[in-house]
Amino acid sequence: MSVKKMTARRLIASLSAVALATGVVTMGATSGANAAVEKPYTGGTLFYYTHADNFPNLDPTRMYTGRDIALFGSYLMRTLVTYKPAVGPAGTTLVADLATNTGVPTNKAKNWTFTLRPGVTWEDGSAITCADVKYGWSRTFAIDIYQEGPTYPISWLDIPTLDDGSSAYKGPYLKTGQALFDKSITCSADNRTIKFNLKRSVPDFNYYMTYLSAGPVPAKKDTGEKYDLRPFASGPYKIEKNVSGEEMVLVRNTKWSKASDPVRTPYPDEVVFKFGLNEDVRDDIIMNDSIANGVSLDSLQLANNITFFKSTNPKDAARRMNNYDPYVTYLTANNSAGRVDCLEVRKAIFFAINNKALIDLSGGLEFYGDMGDGIVKPLLGADYAPTTGNIHDPNFKIEGNPDYAKTLLAEAKTKCPATYDRATNPDKGLVYIRPDTASSKKTAVLVQAAMEKAGIVLKYQYEAQGTYNAKLEEFKKTSDLFSSGWGPDWANASTVIPELWGEGCCNYTNNKKTPEYTAFIAKVNKALVELDRKKQSAMWKELNQYGMDQYWFVRTVFGKSQQTWGSKVGGVYYWDAQGSFGFGQLYVKY
Amino acid sequence: MKIRKREKMLKYISRRLAYTLFLILFVSITVYFIFDLLPVDPARLICSKQCTPQIVEANRHKLGLDVPVLEQWWRFIQGLFSGRTYGDGEVSFSCPAPAFGYSYSRHECVTTMIGKAFPVTFSLALGAFILWISVGVSLGILAARKKGKFADRASSVFVLVGTSLPTFITGILVVLFIVLQFNLVNPLELGDWANPFTDPFGWLKAFFFPCATLALSYAATYTRFTRSNVIETSSEDYIRTARAKGLSEKVILRKHTLRAALAPIATIAGLDFAGLLGGAIITEGIFGLNGLGKMSITAVLETYDLPVIVATTLIASTFLVVMNLIVDILYAFLDPRVRQS
Amino acid sequence: MTKFLEVKNLSVGFPTPDGLVKASNNVSYSVDLGETLAIVGESGSGKSVSNLAVMGLHNPVSTKISGSAVLNLPNGPVDVISAGPEVVRRLRGKVMSMIFQDPMSALHPYYSVGDQIAEAWALYNEGSKKGGLKRAQQMLDLVGIPAADKRVNEFPHQFSGGMRQRVMIAMALVNNPLLLIADEPTTALDVTVQAQILSLLKDLQKEFNMAIILITHDLGVVAQVADRVSVMYGGQVVESATADQTFYNSIQPYTMGLLESIPRIDLTGSHRLRAIPGQPPSLINLPAGCAFAPRCSFASDVANNKCRVTEPELVEKSTGHFARCHLTVEELSVISISRAGK
Repeated sequence: MSVKKMTARRLIASLSAVALATGVVTMGATSGANAAVEKPYTGGTLFYYTHADNFPNLDPTRMYTGRDIALFGSYLMRTLVTYKPAVGPAGTTLVADLATNTGVPTNKAKNWTFTLRPGVTWEDGSAITCADVKYGWSRTFAIDIYQEGPTYPISWLDIPTLDDGSSAYKGPYLKTGQALFDKSITCSADNRTIKFNLKRSVPDFNYYMTYLSAGPVPAKKDTGEKYDLRPFASGPYKIEKNVSGEEMVLVRNTKWSKASDPVRTPYPDEVVFKFGLNEDVRDDIIMNDSIANGVSLDSLQLANNITFFKSTNPKDAARRMNNYDPYVTYLTANNSAGRVDCLEVRKAIFFAINNKALIDLSGGLEFYGDMGDGIVKPLLGADYAPTTGNIHDPNFKIEGNPDYAKTLLAEAKTKCPATYDRATNPDKGLVYIRPDTASSKKTAVLVQAAMEKAGIVLKYQYEAQGTYNAKLEEFKKTSDLFSSGWGPDWANASTVIPELWGEGCCNYTNNKKTPEYTAFIAKVNKALVELDRKKQSAMWKELNQYGMDQYWFVRTVFGKSQQTWGSKVGGVYYWDAQGSFGFGQLYVKY
Repeated sequence: MKIRKREKMLKYISRRLAYTLFLILFVSITVYFIFDLLPVDPARLICSKQCTPQIVEANRHKLGLDVPVLEQWWRFIQGLFSGRTYGDGEVSFSCPAPAFGYSYSRHECVTTMIGKAFPVTFSLALGAFILWISVGVSLGILAARKKGKFADRASSVFVLVGTSLPTFITGILVVLFIVLQFNLVNPLELGDWANPFTDPFGWLKAFFFPCATLALSYAATYTRFTRSNVIETSSEDYIRTARAKGLSEKVILRKHTLRAALAPIATIAGLDFAGLLGGAIITEGIFGLNGLGKMSITAVLETYDLPVIVATTLIASTFLVVMNLIVDILYAFLDPRVRQS
Repeated sequence: MTKFLEVKNLSVGFPTPDGLVKASNNVSYSVDLGETLAIVGESGSGKSVSNLAVMGLHNPVSTKISGSAVLNLPNGPVDVISAGPEVVRRLRGKVMSMIFQDPMSALHPYYSVGDQIAEAWALYNEGSKKGGLKRAQQMLDLVGIPAADKRVNEFPHQFSGGMRQRVMIAMALVNNPLLLIADEPTTALDVTVQAQILSLLKDLQKEFNMAIILITHDLGVVAQVADRVSVMYGGQVVESATADQTFYNSIQPYTMGLLESIPRIDLTGSHRLRAIPGQPPSLINLPAGCAFAPRCSFASDVANNKCRVTEPELVEKSTGHFARCHLTVEELSVISISRAGK
């Protein structure tokens, strides 16, 4: 299957071209999305299919991917709060689900209170209680069994930390520190109102409540490790069958009532997941629409993806959408002492890179995404604003500007001779760590060529693909440049800036205690606890700008992802908050 | 005299079995050591963003990787005889003996996984075996008998095509352009298991094309091999003697030529079959069959699932080693000259 | 008088891309019941090829055979060359049998000797498997294999070379054939065993009154058992006589050369072996004239270079003594004597 030449992008709003010209990136267009066009059908069987053998984790405490949370939050497990199932920015706002509202903060957001709606039940008809929510939260602390899920409860709940950094509470099975945990979450006498007592102010606490790990789990139905195969349902469907490598079948949960659930519209009678498909077979199904009432959970392979998305057949156009996903991929320059701790050198790298070549390598802007102007993506809504400088700088050229890079290097020669020497001396060079894959090596060649034009010397080091992400923390000590990606945990830059540039989990690029940086950290921490959302947004915007002015990241890309489905599937839209389908609204036309 | 012979035979077999057992133990230890040497740290793989050292250590402990390699192996051996228990307190669970371990990525006892995967692999291997032996050997005999004529030339084309097309090409072509093109099987049900005794048609739907695809390259090789064996045997002196005795060509072919020409083929066929019992990785993947091959490749390339890797490696090597023994005995049965040693 | 087997003008040729290989060229010989004919010659002289044609063992696709080989059977003569393959097959093993040079490879390694002999017997006799094995055991006994009752169930590789050849003989004679063709039966065996085998053949011949054709290149073997001798060279018979005539009164230069090259225990003094110089001819491009002329020490004594131009015919030079040579008996003896004197 040959890659057709890129034609005029009729079906997808030419955001990319606009973005390049003006630096403004707008919301992702959802071509082919057919939400709110026709009346939904109730009934039938909706199929999902994937190459994977199974879903790695169905246990809510262990689930951490946006897609899975969106999927099983829509079908199986309800939470106190969830995102509004709507297209566009509206879909990033919070709505009440099991709770009566989106939570009441008190004591400067150090305490949060939620009240459970009446009539919310489990699949066996028993009521969902505060004790269930509390039990669900306690399971996060059993890190000897559950290691995959988010650990915000451990960071936030007002429970002392031991000297080795772990929590004093060891989970509901070992019960060590149970009393401490019981104090941090309290239930009202009628078992309907739950109060969280946190260590510090967490203004966006209720965003975490959209995670399934923040939801209830009935203690009597907890099967530990096996809960990952069959969690107890509170949503409109329950699991009838789950066989790895074959299929998982969801049938209607007769104990779920529409009256208690303003959020979900479970149209199909049955939802079937098919596992273990060969990748070529899966792509064939999509491209030939052989399973019209089916949705692919995977992306097409690269060549097929390009062919299908460039097809001019309107029937194909109606079954695909291309949107900005939640991720920002970036190339970071290690700002630590002894590394690339020189602004001019970092700037030189930024302007020298031939972005056009890299974009072309990935099949063009259509699938690649846009050059980013920060680590906050437009999808974050209020927290995003276009920055100045970087790609908006008049000296920026998409194919690279080696001449400007040279002038920056000349400045660097006098300002930071040591770094300059390392970056330009043929016997030294900057250490650039890349994952060891074929496509990565192709990219490396292009980057190398661009750097050579500017006189920057790179030394490549390749890391095994499988462990690349696990080693990022080491790169802080060993690398000058490395790539990575980041998606915010929820629609607030508090899950981006503090993590990547502040004192959060994943700052691998900055260890200098300069006055400027200390001041920056102080501002970040202030924004973290700012209760006024508008004020907070403004602070994030300012911090994003600062980070880009420092050129800590010498390249950011606002990535895109493509979705495909069969012609008999209706109600499709892109759910920005989760970066996936709005699963709960899909139906089967017949 | 006969009793002495039987004694000798039994001594020989028991010696070989002991050797087999030793070999299997050796293979199992080797797998553990190789896995330990891999640059990948499976405990780190589940790590999402919020990865603290405690979480990694907890995962490593859960996976049983925080003890020395030999102890890991010893626990495995014990598990084979007495089962294994995981976790502690109210959420502990166990896998009954013979326990190969527990797969955390599949949330299943590995023994259960094997129990489900083996019939699939066995069906594929047996079906392919029957096809390739019947087609390959008969075509080879035909080509040898009609040497130089049209049938021989046609068979050499078949041999060329069959040996040059690898399974991953023929398989995909068959799936996309035959099975799916003509809607012979629902693509979502491709490779779904059906019990051959209770649902023979369903079993055929799942296995006909994969068996045929897999059999193709073997059949081509066996055609070539059979043909050359038959031709070579036909020129042996004892065939001339048989002809001089006055036997008809039909009897000579059947009793004299084939008996000698097919004996080595029988032994190779046994080994090829045993090799497939460990799983036909490519064919299973293409046709969506959940056999040992698919299980092992997923464990090695995607999930780094040590218990599964150990189990599939051990099973595959056990089949091969046992089949080696069987084939040696079979060959001694077929060729009296071998019986002395 | 007609003998049991009369081979007349038998020619066997193998078409090859380089030309027709004339492996045997107008060969004629005969042998009677109770008589032993030795066919002598070097490798490539055509001795095996001709007799394989008599047995009908050539591949009809790749061989051109002409001439006749008539078996004068009690119920009428049969020309095996022109008869259909099925007719000839039914004669093999029953009327005519052949044993081959290398007993190591001539027996099927997978079947016991008893089974193989019984198979030959069952082809032409009704009876049970047990009966066949009993018959096999009898034959093994007959050919002098000790403990025949046990050895009948053993496999060929459990026998020595000489024993294996005895098994071959047993198998060849199990159906009492009238003609036995033995193609170099003792070449692969050592000398002591050789004598035993030849003596066995002679005994069996007397017992069954069969005709034996013994193909060999070893004149010592010929001396022991042959009644008549046919010497072949270049695909042709060059001399045909009784054994005595051949050894004491050879009138053909090739035969004479062969005899001279045998080590002689009775000649005193140091005495050099006289080998025949040169190589046997190519059977595709036979030289014009006499096939032996290039190597013949008498060719120069023939007037007008006749040996190089005209092919001599096989002619009866004295009673029952045929030779293919342009020189007469007298001319030959004159030249020989004059040479011996020098």
